[in-house]
Amino acid sequence: MAFQLLLNVFIAFLWMFLQNTYTLVTFAVGFLFGLLIIFGMRRFFSTRFYLYNVMAVFTLLSIFMKELIMANVSVLKIILTPKLKLTPGIFAYETELTKAWEITVLSNLITLTPGTLVVEISEDNKILYIHAMDISNEEDARKDIRDSFEKAIKEVSR
Amino acid sequence: MKRTNLKTNDLILQTVVKVVFFIIFIYSVYIFFAGHYTPGGGFVGGLMTSSAIVLLLLAYDVKTVASVIPVNFLKVAAAGLLVALGTGLASFLYGVPFLTHAHGPVHLPVFGEVEVASATAFDLGVYMVVVGVTMTIIQTIGETE
Repeated sequence: MAFQLLLNVFIAFLWMFLQNTYTLVTFAVGFLFGLLIIFGMRRFFSTRFYLYNVMAVFTLLSIFMKELIMANVSVLKIILTPKLKLTPGIFAYETELTKAWEITVLSNLITLTPGTLVVEISEDNKILYIHAMDISNEEDARKDIRDSFEKAIKEVSR
Repeated sequence: MKRTNLKTNDLILQTVVKVVFFIIFIYSVYIFFAGHYTPGGGFVGGLMTSSAIVLLLLAYDVKTVASVIPVNFLKVAAAGLLVALGTGLASFLYGVPFLTHAHGPVHLPVFGEVEVASATAFDLGVYMVVVGVTMTIIQTIGETE
């Protein structure tokens, strides 16, 4: 992905040199042409066309925004409920992510969405220990993380 | 930095620090150059740079940081003093009193017309001394058992 982006920037610079005008507009035009060329040659690269990864980043961001609002509303509901019927606890979550930044992003996403909080990562970076506000629907929480966050992060690094 | 016996996995801290370090560093460079017209300058810039390195020290151990930044900070402080002294002595070349401030517009290849002041060089000396002294203090305290 990084190589394709670098190549795209290089093509844009080449375009500026050929046009002999060094402005942002010329750069943008060259970048667009480069994007088209790279899209045409996308089978030539070992990784997929990099715009998909860029789009995956925005998908991840939108998922995060949505989850943040939803989770805060649910916490507000819990706070305003007169009687607490919660059973807090810690559960283990086995992650399939391997790279350090992937695990970091996943744990930060889990922590930032209220209700769940990453307390510890196992030595081999395979298991996240998550503190949940309500552990009664632990399987739900697991499935939620796996289906939304982990999938979106995998999509970014593919 | 010496840790407690409890072994923890610092994966999140280390990965975040890897990114945050560069943000703090570039901000400290900005603060350094902002010093002439807006709040900032060599002192806060230097403190912020060393705080970025301290953040590295918190996430990693002394040996790793020393191998990543193989700089003798005592020498940095000494070089900073020399730079500050040099800007003061340079005024003698023009037959003006010690530490006389010179400034004026200079044409640079990329930046175009820039107002350059000799106080910036003096500030660079301050910056280096602050980074050198702060890091020497922290590293010496951190290394003693």
